[in-house]
Amino acid sequence: MNTAPQAAAAGIPRPTMIEFRDVNKYYGDYHALRGISATIRAGEFFSLLGPSGCGKTTLLRTIAGFEDISSGAVLIDGKDMAGVPANLRPTNMVFQSYAIFPHLTVAQNVGFGLRRKGGTAAEKARRVTEALAMVGLAGYGERAAHALSGGQRQRVALARALILKPKVLLLDEPLSALDKKMREQMQVELIRLQRQVGITFILVTHDQEEALVMSDRIAVMFEGQIVQLADPETLYRRPTSRQVADFIGVMNFLPAKILTEAVGRIAIEVQGLGRAEIDETQAPGPITGGEISVGCRPETLTILYEGQTASDRETPGTVEEVVYYGDMTYYDVRLDGVDSPVRISMRNVFGRPVLDIGTRTRVAWSAGALVLFR
Amino acid sequence: MKGGGLRIYTILYLVFLYAPIVLLPVFAFNDATIISFPLRGFTTRWFAALAELPTLHQALKNSLIIAVSSSVLATVLGVFASRASTRYEFPGKGGLMGLIMLPLVLPEVIVAMSLLMVLLGIGIDLAIWTVILGHTLICTPFAIAILSAAFQSLDRSLEEAAWDLGETRLSTFRLITLPLVMPGIISSLLISFTISLDEFIIAFFLAGSEPTLPVYIYSQLRFPKQIPAIMALGTILVALSVLLLTTAEYFRRRGLKKTGAKDTGGFL
Repeated sequence: MNTAPQAAAAGIPRPTMIEFRDVNKYYGDYHALRGISATIRAGEFFSLLGPSGCGKTTLLRTIAGFEDISSGAVLIDGKDMAGVPANLRPTNMVFQSYAIFPHLTVAQNVGFGLRRKGGTAAEKARRVTEALAMVGLAGYGERAAHALSGGQRQRVALARALILKPKVLLLDEPLSALDKKMREQMQVELIRLQRQVGITFILVTHDQEEALVMSDRIAVMFEGQIVQLADPETLYRRPTSRQVADFIGVMNFLPAKILTEAVGRIAIEVQGLGRAEIDETQAPGPITGGEISVGCRPETLTILYEGQTASDRETPGTVEEVVYYGDMTYYDVRLDGVDSPVRISMRNVFGRPVLDIGTRTRVAWSAGALVLFR
Repeated sequence: MKGGGLRIYTILYLVFLYAPIVLLPVFAFNDATIISFPLRGFTTRWFAALAELPTLHQALKNSLIIAVSSSVLATVLGVFASRASTRYEFPGKGGLMGLIMLPLVLPEVIVAMSLLMVLLGIGIDLAIWTVILGHTLICTPFAIAILSAAFQSLDRSLEEAAWDLGETRLSTFRLITLPLVMPGIISSLLISFTISLDEFIIAFFLAGSEPTLPVYIYSQLRFPKQIPAIMALGTILVALSVLLLTTAEYFRRRGLKKTGAKDTGGFL
């Protein structure tokens, strides 16, 4: 599933493109952005992920210049953007509604930003043609913009924003209005486009899967704060809080106790699973002093069929719910000695029967796949 | 039959509403001075007679000046008010907009009388421009009603997109906002023009020695032999009003279609 560009991790460190320095934003008494500090690197596909109302769109709009900030600073390519209006910033935006000018043709829409740029009419027309070809809309230039389909409007909006070769392209939930098939197709196209043009893309989304698929790095936001900023794999495998773990994918939580803590290793007692020893990197979050629990992803648990043995550890349990997805089956299994069932995802391999509710079974797990929240 | 009563009621209602207006052209083309049946024959001489009434021409000229000025003024004020009320939040907005829209339901005779008292009180002579003032007052709420709908159906991110693409606030208004609300502006101009042209009470109170067309018509009703000519004039006015309102509605609907917005109701 994860087709995100890996170049960022492998290549040389990239220079900073955007820097937030303790950015705060108030709407009256409402504290919309609470001390955001982060950097976004040049050429990166960066996502702001969070539930609606978490401030991700507001943060994006502070980059574009549509929102003033109450305190702090937003820097683009090293320059403080305070007092620089949206029309003079090296950023362009793809809006959630696409904001295609309905009274203009496709070509006029795409070429809108060239109006104030130099160059002959012929050269501008050539750039429009190029931009349309880039998004797969060659030959659509003379169409009326309001007669386009959702996916085509999306492409026009992309071409219109990219034609000015901005340093940063801002995408405000650009795929949320498309149906599932179209959305998945556009995700792949956006990734391809971003690699092709090499511009920094900043995507706002509430769809965790979309963020995982597309991004080099993701900032997860809750209530006006960035709670974790990491690459997709780290975010998925090593979430620093239960909140993030819960928001990204499915995570099972089991109550736990810490027995001993030695250098680099933590011994824990997990309800249902028993004693286990984990590496300290498996407890990536700060110590909150709250309830201690252990998280495990559905795909790290495996139901053992007769004759199979666990490669690491196993725990008995009873199947309580079966949800069949075609390629996958999700089982809710109550492990012996645990209050609530855990979710387990199993690939439907040929010849392996789907279990019935009430079946006694054994669940294989590995201590290395656990995450500790404390 | 179910609904039979309702059908008869509907027909009677429409007859009552439109029969008098239908009678206007009937008698305008009738070859007799007296307004009564049976009809005497077809003539166009009442229309020809209109051409020889210099006071009518003066009244028509006054009416056109007043209607054009007050529709332009009302629409300009309407653009400002609608833009402000649909884009910005400010304290007292609800009450303020309510007060602006109030002339829509205030009895015109009250508006006319109070305006007259104020004008005479501060020693201003009645003239064409005092009527323009009164008509602007009553046309502005209509203009706002139409223009608010136009501004509301305008996606805010369209303006942001133009700004983002390098245009200033002012050029964004000219290149994006204005063309998209233009159908609303035209529709507002036409409806304000029609309202002003037809308006009687304010014109009667504030016109002084410069009667408008409706005031002139009213004054001529005292002379029986002028009545057929007035019928002819009335016929022309009805035709013009229908034409203007239809044009206004056409532009409003075209505007909705252009921006792909839902029809949220209009005057027709």
